[in-house]
Amino acid sequence: MKRRSRFGGAGAASANDAHAEETRTSTPYSAMHTGPGRALTAVYGVFALSATARAGYQLIREFDVAPIAYSLSALAAVIYILATICLVIGNRVAHRIALTACGIEFLGVIVVGILSHTHPEDFAKPSVWSNFGSGYGFIPLVLPLIGLWWLVHVGRRAAKG
Amino acid sequence: MATKLGRVFTVFTIVLYAVTGVLTVWSIVETIRNRPAGKALLAAAALLLLLLIVQLVLSIATFGSAHDVDPLLYFGYVITAILVIGLAGFWAFAELSRWGPGVLAAAGLTVVVMIERLDQIWQ
Repeated sequence: MKRRSRFGGAGAASANDAHAEETRTSTPYSAMHTGPGRALTAVYGVFALSATARAGYQLIREFDVAPIAYSLSALAAVIYILATICLVIGNRVAHRIALTACGIEFLGVIVVGILSHTHPEDFAKPSVWSNFGSGYGFIPLVLPLIGLWWLVHVGRRAAKG
Repeated sequence: MATKLGRVFTVFTIVLYAVTGVLTVWSIVETIRNRPAGKALLAAAALLLLLLIVQLVLSIATFGSAHDVDPLLYFGYVITAILVIGLAGFWAFAELSRWGPGVLAAAGLTVVVMIERLDQIWQ
């Protein structure tokens, strides 16, 4: 996608910019990462990065302490990376995969959230998803819902043509 | 850590909080005002990036004075924070809509939490 030079006429970029961008793109699925999708992609990116860093540390240094919690941390990190990549790619297949990734993520945060209350001994150490993501300001709980909503929105618009 | 070095670290942490806080609030304001990231906002992001790199260098230089700090944990956080701000800054530069500052705001909020964690780990 060709971009205008940043400081030449960039001042005029405003409300219409997001819409202009959408009409410029080739497929309707590019909307996955345009407009508000940008912020979503960025937040997913941040989560992918920080979850990977944290899971990496946990796996290297203290895996024996809470193997279940840390394996789930690693799984969460992989799913965040997958979702981020799919949002960036933004085509039909990526849309499907991203929907699945968000679904698994939401299921994960619910199941792990419940398990961390019923089986606290397996979750002695925090993972991204334990206690419904309370250690991360409940963002892990809200993020997949926003993601699903946005992806469904994009999918509906794409289906309309 | 009630030494001179400790005080330098405390002041530096406060400066980091202040710059990150200003960057985050400013980015949110620009997102609401529906503006792309201007030169000044990008400069603020660059300043934060520079400060984080200074933090990395400072903590490498003084790492011996910290007790029971796991280097993998500490530097994992510092380097992740540098990556987050670096990537978000580049994105905000390339992005010509309100979501450039939006991305910076998300990164800024993350880095505030990371600075707090860094401070906790170092203590």
